[in-house]
Amino acid sequence: MRRGAVIGRALLLVAASAAVAAGEARAQRAQWTDVVYVPGQWSGGRVVAQADSIAMVMRIDYFSAPPKWRAEIRRSSDGRTLGEPVILIGQGRRAVVVTALGSTPLEQHALARDPLVTAAVVFDQSGRRAGPASGRITERSADGRVGRIVFRRVIRNPSFDNKLLDPGNRAAGRTLLASGIAAVGDQRSASVVATAGARGVDRVQTPQGSVPVTPDTAAVSRMERFAVGAVALEEFLRAGGLGPYAPAHSDSGGKPQ
Amino acid sequence: MNRHGRLVMALGLLSGAAATPSTAQGVLDRLRQAANIARTLLPISTDKEVEIGRGIAATIAGRFPVSSDAALTRYVNLVGLTVASQSPRPDITYRFAVLETPTVNAYAAPGGYIFITKGALGLIENEAELAGVLAHEVGHVNQRHVINQIRKSDTMREVRNQLDIKGSTLDKVVGTGSNALFMGLSRGDELEGDSLGILYAAAAGYDPGGLASFVARLDRHAGEGPVSEFFATHPKPDERVGRLHAIAQREDLRSSVTLAERYRESVH
Repeated sequence: MRRGAVIGRALLLVAASAAVAAGEARAQRAQWTDVVYVPGQWSGGRVVAQADSIAMVMRIDYFSAPPKWRAEIRRSSDGRTLGEPVILIGQGRRAVVVTALGSTPLEQHALARDPLVTAAVVFDQSGRRAGPASGRITERSADGRVGRIVFRRVIRNPSFDNKLLDPGNRAAGRTLLASGIAAVGDQRSASVVATAGARGVDRVQTPQGSVPVTPDTAAVSRMERFAVGAVALEEFLRAGGLGPYAPAHSDSGGKPQ
Repeated sequence: MNRHGRLVMALGLLSGAAATPSTAQGVLDRLRQAANIARTLLPISTDKEVEIGRGIAATIAGRFPVSSDAALTRYVNLVGLTVASQSPRPDITYRFAVLETPTVNAYAAPGGYIFITKGALGLIENEAELAGVLAHEVGHVNQRHVINQIRKSDTMREVRNQLDIKGSTLDKVVGTGSNALFMGLSRGDELEGDSLGILYAAAAGYDPGGLASFVARLDRHAGEGPVSEFFATHPKPDERVGRLHAIAQREDLRSSVTLAERYRESVH
């Protein structure tokens, strides 16, 4: 065989291997949301015991590219709204708390004493998610009582930036990846909204011909101010039996670790 | 084709034009083709996409007034956010509004500004159908269909980078995008919106047949005034319905959640 042909085949092989490796890396990426409930009912800023009732206490948005992962944790203190996010970035079972100013290992942070936060580290040593991909997960204590109920839903075809799984990245503590909840989006898009400057057009083409228009930026501002909170969205899903709240959805039981 | 692929193709066409100048017209055609491809390479950031989308949204709201019914707007936002939460674009905040017009249609401006008309809500029979329609629009936003139409347009001929899209150029870009929306996107973009829409709606837990049943119902109203714009701007309903059923079968999408009663209570 000629030398050129051999080199050509070798290059093809390397390219094919690289393509397979890239495909596998993409396939391992995952994004999902856990909505965490505990037994009881919100009253006066805390959850009180209440039979046959569960209270939403936390939403966690996960982004994973093993062994690295990221969790954006938003807690509720009233059952109606979610607070500012806490960002954990991890590798395997190790995690750091990331802020705009820097990062601190979780075990040295005050949050390490918060069982709801430590329970958010749902990864094994290799950074893979432990537990089911989606559905309802009921965690029970040793005496059989329900501790937490997690409703997990997966997001297809994640497209997040892997750089934001790196605690050394300066933007990691300032950039939020979670989407789909107006409360988050309003914070993020404020600067864009403030600088929007199109005066617009006075005529548009339609299938019926050219028609006059008067751009209504005030209506768009009202659209932007119309916020539907994450808690309201979860209640809506739950009432409709949608996604992980579907009555037939399997309950994996056990602890998702 | 990705950005590098398009760059290589543009360079290839340019070099081909220089190497084989069979006719002057041929050279000009090739140069024009290369320039068109190069224009589609222009990166447009999410912030710029939202800025353009805001202008297009204002134009849509200028053609048809936006409903001030807070309860209805909240319901449409809840259904919209339910399907948008399946979107893989974390950089977009989705917002939904209802347009006060009997015209049957829905519009997706770049940056996540999505509108549905009262006429469409009047023909929709359950929440799964509404979810399917809104998910189709979310698909347009995710795939940047309007932004890509703008990139290919003559408006972008003198734009060297996205910082040039301001002032009167921004107005022209908004006009181009608005015209693209009102005149209809390409058949390919509409079918892609369908493909993504059925997946988002099904992943959110809705009956995957929602969008198909709405499109099939529209077909039965063909010829009626309020539906005429929809038919002028979208592929034929029977083609869409056939493709949607095929996708549901191929992807094994199964759910029977339609929530007709919640829809009736919230909309009618």
